[in-house]
Parts: sequence; C-alpha cells; structure tokens
Amino acid sequence: MSRLPIRVRLTLAFALAMAAVLAATGAFLYLRLQSSLDEAVHETLAARLVDATALARSGATGRTVSDESLTEIRTATAPPARTELERVPGMDGRVRLAYSVVDTPRGKRLVIVGAALGDRDEALTGLLRQLLIAVPVALIIASLLGYWLAGAALRPVEAMRAEAAAISGSEPGRRLPRGEADDEISRLATTLNEMLARLERAIERERSFVADASHELRTPLALLRAELELALRKPRTAPELEAAIRSATAETDRLVRLAEDLLVLAQADEGRLPLRREPVRAADVLGAVREAFRSRADAAGRSIETDVADAIVLAADRLRLQQALGNLVDNALRYGEGAIRLDASARDGLVEFHVRDEGPGLPPEFLPHAFERFTRAEAARTGGGTGLGLALAAAIAEAHGGTAEASSEHGGDVWLSLPQAVS
Amino acid sequence: MRVLVVEDEPKMAGLIRRGLAEEGYSADVAATGDDAIWMAQATAYDAIVLDVLLPGRNGFEVCRELRRAGMWSPVLMLTARDSVDDRVAGLDAGADDYLTKPFSFAELLARLRALARRPPLARPTVLEVGDLRLDPAAHQAWRGDSALSLSTKEFRMLEVFMRRPGEVLSRLYLLEHCWDYGYENRSNVVDVYVRYLREKIDRPFGRDSIETVRGAGYRLRDG
Repeated sequence: MSRLPIRVRLTLAFALAMAAVLAATGAFLYLRLQSSLDEAVHETLAARLVDATALARSGATGRTVSDESLTEIRTATAPPARTELERVPGMDGRVRLAYSVVDTPRGKRLVIVGAALGDRDEALTGLLRQLLIAVPVALIIASLLGYWLAGAALRPVEAMRAEAAAISGSEPGRRLPRGEADDEISRLATTLNEMLARLERAIERERSFVADASHELRTPLALLRAELELALRKPRTAPELEAAIRSATAETDRLVRLAEDLLVLAQADEGRLPLRREPVRAADVLGAVREAFRSRADAAGRSIETDVADAIVLAADRLRLQQALGNLVDNALRYGEGAIRLDASARDGLVEFHVRDEGPGLPPEFLPHAFERFTRAEAARTGGGTGLGLALAAAIAEAHGGTAEASSEHGGDVWLSLPQAVS
Repeated sequence: MRVLVVEDEPKMAGLIRRGLAEEGYSADVAATGDDAIWMAQATAYDAIVLDVLLPGRNGFEVCRELRRAGMWSPVLMLTARDSVDDRVAGLDAGADDYLTKPFSFAELLARLRALARRPPLARPTVLEVGDLRLDPAAHQAWRGDSALSLSTKEFRMLEVFMRRPGEVLSRLYLLEHCWDYGYENRSNVVDVYVRYLREKIDRPFGRDSIETVRGAGYRLRDG
C-alpha cells in the first residue's frame, strides 16, 4: 500500500469511504421501502380480516380468489400451516395470509384472508436493480473526482518540488515562492526556505573560510618565492644571501604554524580533537607558558607575571591548554602593551585563566568577531600573525567543554573558562 | 619607468620595491588605499601595482576611484585573491591586468613592461556620450536616468557607436565590428539594426542621436 503514489492512495481511500457510504445508503433505502411495503400489506390484511369476519358471522362460507386478494371461510378450525405461500392458483406472485377463528351462531369458523405480494416484490427488486447500477456509477464518478482533487491538492507541492530542484549551488540566494494562505504548503515553503537560508550561510562560511585560508597560505608563499627569486636574479654577497635565507625561514615558520593551526581547527570542527586529559596543576601550566615566552618578553622589555593558587587542579590536556594560553600571550606580546599578567582562579567548578595586559585591548567593534577564523583587527593585519590564534584558543577551550571570552574594559583581557572536572 | 606599489604587507612591499629597483625602475610604496589615491594624483605613474586587501578602502574601490578621478595609469592588481569572481571584479573595476600571488618576478616585470607600452588614454569602464551611458560589464545602458532595454546585438552595436562618438562609421565598419564571417545575410542587416536601435534609444525620448550620413554610413552625435 505504502508503495503506491500518494495520489492513488488518496483516491483509493476516498473510493473506499465513498463505497461504504453508498452501500449504507442503498441498504437503508431498501430496508425502508421493504418495511413500508410490508406495513401496507399488513394493513390491507387487517382490514380484509375485519370484512371477512363480518361475512363469517353472517353465516357465509366459501372461497373467493382474485389477482390481488383471497378470502376463505372454513368450518374447520385448524389454522393454516404457513402464513406465506409461494403460489396460489389465480393470484399474482407470492401470497401472505392472515387468519382468525371466529365464533358464529353456527359454530366456530376459520377466516383466512390473503394479499398478493407480487407488486411489493417487484418494487423491491426494481429498487435493488437501480441501486446496483447507480451505486457503481456514482462510485466511479466520485473516484475520478477524488483523483482529480488529489492531483489539484498536490499540484502546489509538485510546483514547489520543481522550484526547489531548480535551485542550485550557483544561486544560493534563491528562495521558494510562498503562497498567500497560511496552509501546509506555505508552511512547507517557509520551512524549506529557512533550511535554504541555513545552507546558504553554511556555504558562505565555507566559501569565505576557503578564500581566507588560501589568502593566508598565499601570502607567506608569495613572500618566500619573491625572496628566493630575487636572491637568485643576480650574484649576491654572503650577507645578502643570509638575509634572504633568514627571511625565507621566517616565512616557512609562518607556513608551518598556519598548517598546524589549520589542522587543529579542522580536527576540532569534526569534534575529534584528540585530548589527553589528566589532572593538571594550573600553576604548572601558567609557569610553563611564562617560561616559553620569557626570552621574547625580555627582548621586548616587557614582563610576564603569574598569579595562581597552588591548589587549583583541573582535568585538561596539558599541551593543548599551554598552546591555547600561549596564543593569548603571543597576541598580548604582539599587539598589547606593558606587563602581561597570567592568573587562574577556580569558581563554581570552573577554572578561569586570564591573560591581561596594560594596552587598550581589542577594539570594541572587533570584540564580537575576535574568535572567528582569519579575523583580525585592522591594526593586526600586518603583524605577521595567522589570524587563527584566538580561534584556536577558543576551539581548544570548547573541546574541553569550556569557553573563551575577551573584554577591553580594563586593558586587554582574554580568558578561558574550563570545567574543573571531566564532565 | 616609475611605479606605485600599493601593498600593506611591509615585507612584500619592500621586496617588490627592491626587485623593481634592481631593474632600474623607481618605485614608491603606499600602505593604504587613501595614500595610494593622493600619491597617484600627485604623480603620473607609468604603472600601479595594487593589492586588493588593504586597510580602509580595498583595491577594487581604489581602482574605481582612480578611474573616476580621471587617472588612467595602467593598474595591475597583485593579490592573493584568485577566485574568478575576484579577477572579474578587479578587471571590471578598471584594472588593466591581474596577477595572483605567489607570482614570479620575471612575469611581474614583463607584465609591467607590457602595461607601460599602453598609451595613458582614457579607458573608462562605463562609456558616456551625451546623456547616453553604457556599462559593458553589467550589460546595462541608460538614456539619462531611464534604463534602456536592448537586445545583445543592439547593445553591442550601441557600444561600437559609443566607442567612436562623432565619427562617421561605414556600414562595412559596423558589419565587421558587430557580425562575424559566419553571418550569411549581410545585405541590409546594419540598416535594420540601426532602425531597431533608433526605436529604442531615440524615438521614445524624441531625440535623433544616430544620424544617417548619406553615402557614408551612420554617426552617433557627440553630445
């Protein structure tokens, strides 16, 4: 049944319901006619019985038979064996009888009257014959109508299907037309349009990510190529060559970092960023990050301080956490000012790691997009970063079931909140 | 040859400048679109190397702005954005060439030499003759403020007229510029299309901008 097209199924259901209604109506008509005819026969017989009884009282006996009626008065009082006879000679069709025993001055008499059922039977057979023709004809007409109606009801769906089929990836902004009425079809259109909008946003994100990633990869590659090609165009002195190689190495480092960051982000996107969780002391993590950046901070004449209670321990991947915090410190060194303060505090089952500096922090208009990929504040565009540092820190925090946030209210402040225990 | 390099990555700008200098060209560097516009206004550069992703105004806008201000120095877009859409946007914004990073220095230099061979003539992206305007890239044309609805052939024919305003164009010239050799019926097709064009760009406005020059051809009135 479920393999049939919906139009055929609707028609079949409609035809079945219609058949039941028509059959019930037919049966009702038939029974109604039958009972009213029977009642008429009954009344005729009763009237005739009264007449015949009067006749019997007057002493008459004998039998009169016509097409339609029968009257018999007998002296025997044994009642007739049956009240319906198939045939009585001289009468039309079957005959129904009524009788009564009457006391007369000359003794008991049996009075029998009969009425022919020919007309009644004929009327019933006629009705049955008409119903047998009319009901199937009505059923066929109703089914055709049902088939047409189902088609008409489904036509907007088919039209919408054709519209939807015509929408391709090359014109993701196209939407399905929505009908005036608030019905199933227009709700379907609304739902599909919302789905299309979500797909469009996903495609747009994907497209811009690919464009950004290719831009980010091309920039260091272009520098690398230009540097090397320029070095080879003419004979160079040793210091010139050394400078070129140093510059090329820096670009290679940038490419390596970019490739690694992209890999981690891709894994985080698929929800399978491998985390080796173990009990980690927050003080150890901050200490390791401070040591890693000490020489760079010293070279820039800036200090890194840590402030953390010894007792804070959380379940986290030590290396990933250090990588995330390292990105925040790297940003603070690159774009921030003054001393950098790292601190960790535990509250409500969460551990917050703050990285603060004394600079102005992220520009307010940039804050909502700070953790998106390849977004950079205007000032950071030429800083040589990959544009992925904050996105990566956020991805690592999220893989731990935590969040990353930033504020610029009291100097630069970016922090990660991680759950203390494995959830 | 004097070249303006518009590039916000200092290292890249320095490399291009050094490469050009070693070829004996002089190069100035602008780090933002606004700098580029005023520097181009101050000096007639023989070529402009323009990055797309710039702080503030992007390269496409800078290019459009230069053309709008009537500066016709050849522009070469040099950018890491390599999608077809980007290249089309760049060329339609008025750039003369498009090169994607990473690029080869030899190619950059060859392209700059090729650009320098072009005379600094006006090469507007939107053609204007009188109150007729035509944008070949967007495939749109206007008479004053009203958009004209032209068929492809009519549009291209109007473009041919608008590229030589005020000049008498012979039937043969129009035929050769609007139809190819594959077109069989060459007898009076030009006259037919000129009639169509007049129906759309002149008659509704009560104008007579395409005039018939007896025995010579047709001319689009200049202004």
